[in-house]
Amino acid sequence: MKEIQISILVLSIVGFIFALLLAFLSRKLRVEEDPRVEKVMMSLPGLNCGACGFSGCRPFAEAVVKERSIFSGCLPGGEEVNKNITSLLGLAGHVGGERRVVFCRCGAENKDKKGRCYIGPNTCRISDIIGGNIVCRYGCLGYGDCLEVCPKEAISLKEGRVYVDIERCIGCGKCIEICPRNLFEFVSLNKDLKLYYIACNNKDKAVNVRELCSKGCIACGICVKVDNSPYYLTENLSHIDRVKVNNEKPLEQARIKCPTKCILIQE
Amino acid sequence: MNSLIIIFISTVLVNNFVLSYFLGICPFLGVSGRLESAFGMGMAVTFVMTIATAITWLIYNLVLVKFGLFFLEYVVFILVIASLVQIVEMFIRKFSPPLYQALGIYLPLITTNCAILGAALFMVTKGYNLLESVVFGFSGGLGFSLVLLIMAGIREEMYYADVPPVFKGASLTLIAAGLLTLVFMGFSGLVSS
Repeated sequence: MKEIQISILVLSIVGFIFALLLAFLSRKLRVEEDPRVEKVMMSLPGLNCGACGFSGCRPFAEAVVKERSIFSGCLPGGEEVNKNITSLLGLAGHVGGERRVVFCRCGAENKDKKGRCYIGPNTCRISDIIGGNIVCRYGCLGYGDCLEVCPKEAISLKEGRVYVDIERCIGCGKCIEICPRNLFEFVSLNKDLKLYYIACNNKDKAVNVRELCSKGCIACGICVKVDNSPYYLTENLSHIDRVKVNNEKPLEQARIKCPTKCILIQE
Repeated sequence: MNSLIIIFISTVLVNNFVLSYFLGICPFLGVSGRLESAFGMGMAVTFVMTIATAITWLIYNLVLVKFGLFFLEYVVFILVIASLVQIVEMFIRKFSPPLYQALGIYLPLITTNCAILGAALFMVTKGYNLLESVVFGFSGGLGFSLVLLIMAGIREEMYYADVPPVFKGASLTLIAAGLLTLVFMGFSGLVSS
């Protein structure tokens, strides 16, 4: 019994002495932190996605307080967060954020793509080493590696085709990194216009494309010939010059005329 | 004086905490990525270890032995080490923010660095006096730093080496650590005691 009393007493005294020492030193060695860091931190989404180029939300908050010009760095937060940050840092009025989303450049479903025999691990990255389960060297392998990395579950897979929900997409770019065929591409979202895109990435000649996919872009140039066309051709593929896009009319005309129906609208 | 030199050499080289007792492996693998942070970590551990052995010796011999509370040594030692780490953390944060950033999570992890608790416990079992204990703690920390710096140097070089993809990263690090242990085994027999 006595031992217990003594040990409790000794431990309490030792603990108390250290507690006092720590309390004293924490007062003495306090580090002053900019209170704005905490406020900016509160207004950030807290996803730690790293899209801003920093390792997480906290380092970004610290950096943005020091260097105000990077106020628009938080992509997932979008306009709202930018506004908060700018008002906190006294930059209000300079806001001009636009939302960045991704789209997938392969619009072919399983039935459109010519398949081939592949037996092995069911991931895009591994199957891509030997070319995967489809003949097309550019198209979507359809194992859904992008689904797994998406932090917002904005990507879905139906019939071997990838759909991006642009309402949910925060533009962090993780799918761009993971996709072994580099099918995802960033685009700045224009609120007034629907998002048109070319759903093909095959850079081969038309003959070869026709052989292996019914939805492939054959670079026929019909879309380019529309009035005021924002389309242009490079590497046997059609592209949209986003700078030239100011109304939907030529985009829609070309979409209807496209013989392989590979110009799509992102819903 | 002679015994102090023997303690110093045997703790730094022969009975190195990391490579022959296998204590403190977590920071050894975790912080050895860059030479700069490895140096900081080594210095922090050396500092904490030296002070910790001194204070634990005092508390052990003046308090615990006096009251016959040998069974409390683990609890008291952990208490002392945890408090010291807190103090070191405060100092580093105040006076060297870059080092604080570089050490990151590993600084609070010194609390649970078994090498430091190991030093305190070995000191008791080996029956050192105060001066010997301080030298033991200091050289233990120095040995830890030495191994950490060697490892960091190797890993910085390896970063640019063209190795097969299967070996990249953790596996190559562990193989290098194993080889380093073999090298340090060559010191055994240097001090006979």
